[in-house]
Amino acid sequence: MDFSVLTDQFASLTFDGIALGFIYVLIALGYTMVYGVLRLINFANSEVFMLGSFATILVATKLFNHTIESDPLTGFKLVYTMTAMLVGAMIVSGVASVVIEIVAYRRLRSRTSNRLTSLISAIGVSIVLAEAVRMATSSAPMGSPRLLDKTTLATVWGADIRVDTLLVIVFAIILLIVLDLFVNKSRLGMGIRAVSMDYDTSRLMGINLNKIISTTFLIGGLGTGAASFFYITVYEMTRFSIGFELGLAAFTAAVLGGIGNIRGAFAGGIALGLIEMYASAVLGTQWRSITAFVILILVLLFKPNGIFGESLQQARV
Amino acid sequence: MNKKIKASAAIVAALALSLGAFAANTASAATTVKIAYQGPLTGPEAQTGTDSIRGVKLAIKIYNATNPAVKVEIFEGDDQGDDAQGGTVGAGIAADDAVIGVLTAYSGPTIAALPSYKAKGIAIVSPSATRASLTDPTSKDYGNPVFHRIVSNDDLQGPALARVATNGVKDPTVFVVDDQSSYSVGLTKAVKLALGTAFQAGDSAAKGAVSDFSATIAKIKKEKANVVIYTGYYADGAKFLKQLRDKGYKGVYAAGDGVLNSQFPKLAGKKQSEGARLTAPTVPLEVASPKITAMFKKDFKADPGVYTTEAFDATNIFLQGIKAGKTTRADMLAYLNSASFSYKNTAGITIKFQESGDLSGSGLMNQFVVKGGTIKLNGKA
Repeated sequence: MDFSVLTDQFASLTFDGIALGFIYVLIALGYTMVYGVLRLINFANSEVFMLGSFATILVATKLFNHTIESDPLTGFKLVYTMTAMLVGAMIVSGVASVVIEIVAYRRLRSRTSNRLTSLISAIGVSIVLAEAVRMATSSAPMGSPRLLDKTTLATVWGADIRVDTLLVIVFAIILLIVLDLFVNKSRLGMGIRAVSMDYDTSRLMGINLNKIISTTFLIGGLGTGAASFFYITVYEMTRFSIGFELGLAAFTAAVLGGIGNIRGAFAGGIALGLIEMYASAVLGTQWRSITAFVILILVLLFKPNGIFGESLQQARV
Repeated sequence: MNKKIKASAAIVAALALSLGAFAANTASAATTVKIAYQGPLTGPEAQTGTDSIRGVKLAIKIYNATNPAVKVEIFEGDDQGDDAQGGTVGAGIAADDAVIGVLTAYSGPTIAALPSYKAKGIAIVSPSATRASLTDPTSKDYGNPVFHRIVSNDDLQGPALARVATNGVKDPTVFVVDDQSSYSVGLTKAVKLALGTAFQAGDSAAKGAVSDFSATIAKIKKEKANVVIYTGYYADGAKFLKQLRDKGYKGVYAAGDGVLNSQFPKLAGKKQSEGARLTAPTVPLEVASPKITAMFKKDFKADPGVYTTEAFDATNIFLQGIKAGKTTRADMLAYLNSASFSYKNTAGITIKFQESGDLSGSGLMNQFVVKGGTIKLNGKA
């Protein structure tokens, strides 16, 4: 164990951990929103992320004809290209998420109340999508052009505050506030909360369940799509197996914070990002996942519903 | 049609097909022989297999285009790079009487398939199986008399990588990052041994499971390392190098043959990959022969990869034997094991085999350097 890394590079590790955490938060939304209304773990969300990451790169390379060796853009051109990439990723992920809901879950839901079948269906969809992309890409990774130059804006206590990581943090916070307001204040958000509290009663109250559920999948997909855009902006590479890696981490974050709870996903994601970063530094990167899961199990031992699961019951989606 | 009838119809059809194939085999045995390729064609390692089998196909295509008396076909054996599947795939290849020689890609599956090849006396020429035990007479994995390889083994790469990485660096402080795969762990061990006191610290980031190398880079900064060696494969190696340079690291980055892939400088970025040092027992096809490379690109609409040249050469070794009239398993094996055997490879180097199946001489280990976004051969390591 080497704690000197932690003291030596603390600010740097913390900033990087938070930025990674926000990407986890956005993917975790996809899991947590769906769990909130359906009590179903949508394992296919990891593949929604994977599709979004490819969409981000393809928008840049096919629509705007950038290549992996393109120079960074500046000014207005940068803004609209990046916006198009973000919107492209969100559309692809959002549509994929809704289509998965209609194809893989809706029929099962109307025919049987057994959630296990939906769970297997979710895993099946996940495998189909990952393998299809693997075949389409011959298992090769796809790199993204660097359109946003990674300029260091400031150095705080030895940590470089880079424009790309800062962008992730700022936009993720904005998205989360918008989502929180939407769920808590809007009419549709009220519907989502009603379904999440009591499925059968809300149906009796005349809420169109399928509409609410599709909306939830759409919102989860849009969040996941945004996450894939930010992921590509920071890490600039994807491959067919990316969903498994990031999806598992995001799912862990959702459970850690209390699955079904938006604020829980936020806390869980940031906590996981930091835990992973500190554990990698102190124990070695090979201990990263082990540490994260040991902490998850410890949290669940004492708070089986996650950090925020019980206390914020009303805030549950 | 009910299900039972459907099923039995399918069985009958399958039987008819296989009988038909069998009949076709025996009929054409005199004028057509097969060269088998055993390697990962699907699954996570598929890229290596795809790069190699294209070399095999190209060599066979060029040969068949000369309208020879004995035509050659390919037998594709997909072991997914998995030791457990190697045995089954090897048995399948050995059962096809038309196969007179086999190329095996990975060491583990090769060892698993060895009993089948030994029992039937099928010659192996491996383009990429580098595990030392395959040519070690004291090991139970010893592949003699059937096993031959045209790459140097792992015992040679570790010291070479350590040497290349620290070359010209004053007071090297080396940080080694592995990806926990068996290849990487083995290479890391050899590299550390060769580095001696220059080795400072290391980290392990599991293959394909880490997006963010910030923690590893924080450690490198803390150790004030001026040489970083990565022992894994190209996708992660590129991701790691890019983040390393973006965080302001100015020292040497070096890596082994797992990183030698034309995609590596592209994925890592032109600026970030500049000056990266690589070692490998392979020669990129672009370097070995621009002419063959052009044919390759035309045929497959893709760039050659790691071990494409070796797969092309290994196939040509069999084809050279077939041209010399060695069209049975026994003749081919005797031909490769004879003292008079020699072959001039694509890069123009004449190679011979030792009794153990390794190349004669001190073995080949090249070093490469990335310049302007492409990997350039930089002489022997």
